[in-house]
Amino acid sequence: MSQPTAPETLGSLTDETPVDPNSKASQEIAGKSPLRIAAGRLLKDKIAMACAFVILFFILIAIFAGVISDFFGVNTDTQSPSQFLDVLNGGMPKPEYGPPNGGFTMDHPFGIAPRSADDNLAYWLYGARTSLMIATGATLFATIVGIVVGLLAGFLGGVVDRVLSFFVDTFLTVPFILAALTIAPILNERFNDSDNYPTIQKFSLVAVLALFGWMGMARLIRGEVLSLREREFVQAARVLGMPTSRILFKELMPNLAAPIIISVSLMLPAFVAAEAGLAFLGIGVTDGASWGRTISFATTYFEQYPLYLWEPLIGVVLLVLSLNLLGDAIRDALDPKTRR
Amino acid sequence: MFAYLVKRLISGALVLTLVSMAIFLLFWYGPSSPAQTICDRETSNRCGNRIEIYERTLGFDNPVHEEYLKWAKGVFVGRDIQIASTTYECDAPCLGVSYLTKQPVSEELVERLPATVSVAIGGAFLYLLFGIPIGVAAARRRGSVADKALVSSFLFLSSIPYYLFALLTWLYLTVLWEAPFVSDTGYFPITENPAKWFGGMFLAWVALGIFGCTQYTRYSRGSMVEALSEDYIRTARAKGLPERTVVYKHGLRAALVPVVTIFGIDFGTLLAGTIFTERIFDINGIGFWSLQAVQAKDLPVVAATALFSAVLLIISNLIVDVIYSVLDPRVRLS
Repeated sequence: MSQPTAPETLGSLTDETPVDPNSKASQEIAGKSPLRIAAGRLLKDKIAMACAFVILFFILIAIFAGVISDFFGVNTDTQSPSQFLDVLNGGMPKPEYGPPNGGFTMDHPFGIAPRSADDNLAYWLYGARTSLMIATGATLFATIVGIVVGLLAGFLGGVVDRVLSFFVDTFLTVPFILAALTIAPILNERFNDSDNYPTIQKFSLVAVLALFGWMGMARLIRGEVLSLREREFVQAARVLGMPTSRILFKELMPNLAAPIIISVSLMLPAFVAAEAGLAFLGIGVTDGASWGRTISFATTYFEQYPLYLWEPLIGVVLLVLSLNLLGDAIRDALDPKTRR
Repeated sequence: MFAYLVKRLISGALVLTLVSMAIFLLFWYGPSSPAQTICDRETSNRCGNRIEIYERTLGFDNPVHEEYLKWAKGVFVGRDIQIASTTYECDAPCLGVSYLTKQPVSEELVERLPATVSVAIGGAFLYLLFGIPIGVAAARRRGSVADKALVSSFLFLSSIPYYLFALLTWLYLTVLWEAPFVSDTGYFPITENPAKWFGGMFLAWVALGIFGCTQYTRYSRGSMVEALSEDYIRTARAKGLPERTVVYKHGLRAALVPVVTIFGIDFGTLLAGTIFTERIFDINGIGFWSLQAVQAKDLPVVAATALFSAVLLIISNLIVDVIYSVLDPRVRLS
């Protein structure tokens, strides 16, 4: 897929201006790997770069959530409600702390949540951390499973391929949301009293997302391996007596970089959206900061306090949108057919 | 053809059995005790030793394979379920008794089915109604400014998570502006008041339709572009057929085959659970019910809805495969 066409096979059909083989320009061209070419193209794509900056911004927020919230002097501890809330107004925060859109104070830049009097900024910052941590964890697991299954199914073929493909097809028919819905009450029953419940919940969320997210990767890799294993360099390696594991990792893996990057770019935004969606439904993160959880709380107060809803919502939309658009740009950049 | 059908049916039945076993095992070994939630509920969280009574009457002290067979038999011929000192009759297809209402789960499921079916049919209809014409129009004007604007704006729209799009639609139109016609979303039985049913469903359909049609526009545009570059289209044009006939009769027919198969799977997914749509628009269907059951820890309901959805998905996949093999003989011959 990502093998560059050698200049000599193009012959005179190419519309590129012929380069003197000894000139500096030709040496630069000769030294570029397909991934290098793609990276170069990506760097020139303005939308992709803007998205990359947005993503970097969120990653920095996720990593330094603690430092940033200390800097603003906020935290996720429960505040004293009477100080911030207007009890006569159904537990809405006092006007200076948020609703509807004004009331800015430096103490609580994003406002205060109704009823609980939690600080919105702290929850927003830690929400970014939860979101990215779970999405990255799930992507990592799903990638490993997908690569292993895809490699084995594609390279070994036969019964192994049939069994693995059966699993891929079966998992593809079950939407992950159903699985999450089924597992949530069981986990709750079993670990509700445990001190580690929030941690267990996050880990099982990663597990569920990964368990129902690896199939796309496995399919893509399998297809790629099926065509690669008939290629001369793999057959040559076999004839030379290279052990299978070495063929898989030294010969095939480098050629799978493009499909792996493409699948990862599809998985990440899907997992970010899924995490927030499950928390919104009350079956994801139910303890601790999550954008989806805040969105679910804020829906009730939308009429009086739209800002409370918009903060986490913009977080999710911006992150998912930039991940999606960047992924799209990466796919375009890696596709040899769009080579300009 | 017959051999292919039999093969697909057997593998479908196999998957169904495996899924039902997986769900059964999950609810058997998953909780600390499968009877814990009902015991907690009935004794107001002072379960203690009384768990044994519940485990014995519900059969959770028997070997798991015996109970699975009993459960499977109940699906076909019905059975009696004993909880503590009361026995509940559960007719076929018996999927258990709800811990919350003590009603057979399958009866409640049938009650809520019309709401989910309404959402799915309306939404899926709009997928096609918006998606295919826009896709065909874009394919005919491929490369024009309008086409490029459409493709990029739809890419943008489909990059936003669906539930946020639906939530904002509902919050603004129904809650904030109380727009006429959609001011009260929810499910109202069609037999009682068709106008109210339509009004309650309308916004959910539109939200589903607009969001889903982005995908269908992409599919139908892609396959239409491919179809329009075929030789037989050139032949049709060359023999002087009017452009309408060329595009709609010759081009669209070929282009629709892949779109229809994707539609089949999507429709099954919609039927299996429009959880976000039902939660946001307050539609009391199966998805909403399963969410309530999760909050109430009503395990038989959760297990039954999961199984029901899985069955629907497997069946819709099977139907799609069969239709596809009719449309494209290469599939069943390979």
